[in-house]
Amino acid sequence: MLYGIDPYLPPFLAMDRAMRESLAASADRRINFFSESLDSQRFALETLEPEMAALLARKYKALPINVVVAVSQTALDFFERHGEQIWPGARVVFVGFLGYEFKPSALPPGASAVLSTLDVAGTIEIARRLQPGSPGIVVISGLSEVDRRAEQQAREAFAKLDVQPSVEFLSGLPLAELEARVAAVPPDGIVIYLAQFRDRDGRPYEPHDVLRAVVKASRSPVYGAAETFIGLGAVAGSVASYESRGRLIGEQVRRTLAAGPMDPTGTVLAAPNRCLADARALQRWSLDAGRLTSDCEIRFADVPIWRHYWWQIGLTLAVVAAQATLIAALLSQRRRRRLAEQAEQAQRTELARAARRATAGELTGAIAHEVNQPLGAILTNVDTAELMLDSGRDRSDELRLILANIRRDDLRASEVIQRLRELLGNQKFERKEFDINGVVEELEAIMRAEARRRGVTIEIRRAPEALAIMGDRIQIQQVLINLLLNAMDAVTEQPEARRTVAVSVAKSDKGALLTVRDHGHGVAPEHRAKLFESFFSTKRNGMGLGLSITRTIVEAHGGRIWADTALEEGTVFQAEIPLASASGAFAPS
Amino acid sequence: MSETPLIHVVDDDESMRSALLLLLGEVGFEVRGYASTGEFLMQPLPDRLGCLLLDMRMPGPSGLELQAALQRQNITLPIVFLTGHATVTSSVAAMKAGAVDFLTKPVRRDILLDAVQRALARDAAQRTARAETDQLHARFAALTPRQREVFERIVAGKLNKQIAYELDIAERTVKREREQVMAKLDAGSAADLGRLAELLRSTDR
Repeated sequence: MLYGIDPYLPPFLAMDRAMRESLAASADRRINFFSESLDSQRFALETLEPEMAALLARKYKALPINVVVAVSQTALDFFERHGEQIWPGARVVFVGFLGYEFKPSALPPGASAVLSTLDVAGTIEIARRLQPGSPGIVVISGLSEVDRRAEQQAREAFAKLDVQPSVEFLSGLPLAELEARVAAVPPDGIVIYLAQFRDRDGRPYEPHDVLRAVVKASRSPVYGAAETFIGLGAVAGSVASYESRGRLIGEQVRRTLAAGPMDPTGTVLAAPNRCLADARALQRWSLDAGRLTSDCEIRFADVPIWRHYWWQIGLTLAVVAAQATLIAALLSQRRRRRLAEQAEQAQRTELARAARRATAGELTGAIAHEVNQPLGAILTNVDTAELMLDSGRDRSDELRLILANIRRDDLRASEVIQRLRELLGNQKFERKEFDINGVVEELEAIMRAEARRRGVTIEIRRAPEALAIMGDRIQIQQVLINLLLNAMDAVTEQPEARRTVAVSVAKSDKGALLTVRDHGHGVAPEHRAKLFESFFSTKRNGMGLGLSITRTIVEAHGGRIWADTALEEGTVFQAEIPLASASGAFAPS
Repeated sequence: MSETPLIHVVDDDESMRSALLLLLGEVGFEVRGYASTGEFLMQPLPDRLGCLLLDMRMPGPSGLELQAALQRQNITLPIVFLTGHATVTSSVAAMKAGAVDFLTKPVRRDILLDAVQRALARDAAQRTARAETDQLHARFAALTPRQREVFERIVAGKLNKQIAYELDIAERTVKREREQVMAKLDAGSAADLGRLAELLRSTDR
């Protein structure tokens, strides 16, 4: 691949790719590509040529080359001068513009050509279609050899027009000046950009950069005659597709390789020109696309994007939709799960409350007794006081004693009511520091009353030292009540000697240890594993919530609960709760 | 009755017990309090007119259990039950076992004192009856063996002639022994003797 100009310009890259694809699809053997660039637009080739030729000759000395694709007239000229020396036996495929740089008759022997036309006339026609009433045309070109040839072609095209427009040529202006001149063109004017590789000061340019600057500066529409100009801001032009040129080159190279060495070729293929427009540029300058011929391809329109990539877009949308559906499903699942969890939490709270009410219900007898006893005593004391007053003697000392007793009994009754209210209340989980001994003390009267009611002897032992734990006092009360009622249930049907229950609080290594021991029937081995499970009960009327809730509460206080049991000997329940000073693991339920 | 009745109060609840003791003391009774049934049983029971105010439910043996224990020992001290929560079963059991009354706490003074009075009346009657039978047994013990043989045959409805024949003694001797028996047992007629014999048999110890 011998390029007269920079091979990395976008049009050449597109052309090169199409050529290689075409060859790869059709060739019956592997083809090695080598690229050389003369870059004559930006470097003075005449001064470098001897050294460059010598370098290439040396480079390809041991490497036979079958075909040289010479891109541009400069490359073809170079090949004619040095080809035999550098690439002996190689045949040339010329790629260039018909007319202004090449005549088919000038083709060297054994050479073939892929040609395209710089269709200045077609581009002018497109411009005049879009802007029929335009007052004048400005043509921009550079001063390199290629630039000058293009400009020459443009002048010839204008000469052929029936109606001569007012045309101004801006040739080889330095960029700043060019921008100023373009900006001065009236909005309804037409700007045709041919290409500018070099200005009058010999400064080299990348023609696409110049186009970008012109488009930016111009108030009037800019037209271009190269495919790659459409998309950079040029409105439209009659262009030959580089891709189709690339495919033609590939085709021609394959043919050349297949032909015998003496096979006369001289084939000339021409890539067709066609109208190409940029929807965004049309919109920018408020030009009506309807004025274009129907075969004109409009690129960069919103709809064409969809049309071009309909299946990719469709697939992407489908994937996105599937993904969105999945995400929505997952979110909804998560939401449902959260709702279910909330409902479960509420249910658990409600169950705990129900269990507490049930507990209180079980304790009704004890509570009634505990209230009734002081009430009975009060009544009797009042009766006695009346009698004393009726006796007519001064008995104020005795009366004072009776009044003190009445006050004591009244307070005792109201305290029981207060406890009951606490137990039944719907308070939120409270996190406070309190002494677990206090809980035992508060419940002692009720528990003793309940034990009395059931004919059970109860033994209560508190720890000698204060054992402060962090959490909810009422919940811990419930733990104690549950364990005690459980223990009393276990001994109810035992003979009197075994109807005993012992409660104790002590300090352990890990915190406060609450122990409730009964001498009941014990727990059958097959039931032991399920002891703390919800809705498991061996009692006839048991809900099976007591121990499960007890465990939940103990664990919410960062503690643990376990049972040791032996058949016909009894059961020991122990709950260990970390002390407040050490309860880092505490988590409210 | 010059003797002051002695009321025993068994209640584990200290408030209730002391209130009851104060009231009963105020109306003129002599009182003794016990915190449990066991404590009551351990104290010697004086032979005095009195009654027992007994709480139904207590730690350890209950009021009903104490009632049964007293019956086994032939202690007839009348019982007034007091309970915080009366159930049909427990009240029926108590009344069947001879309780004077079954009161529910809180109990009004007049109801309590009325029950106590009835209990004391029952105790007084029991004590009187017991005194009578004790006297009869003492009199019976004063009969000679020959007089007892005659007595048994009189209450069996036998005539003097038959008795004389069975005991192989003179009919006149039977007559004399019969007069002795009537005098010793303070009986006015043969029918009286029959009633005494019945009483003796039923209270035989």
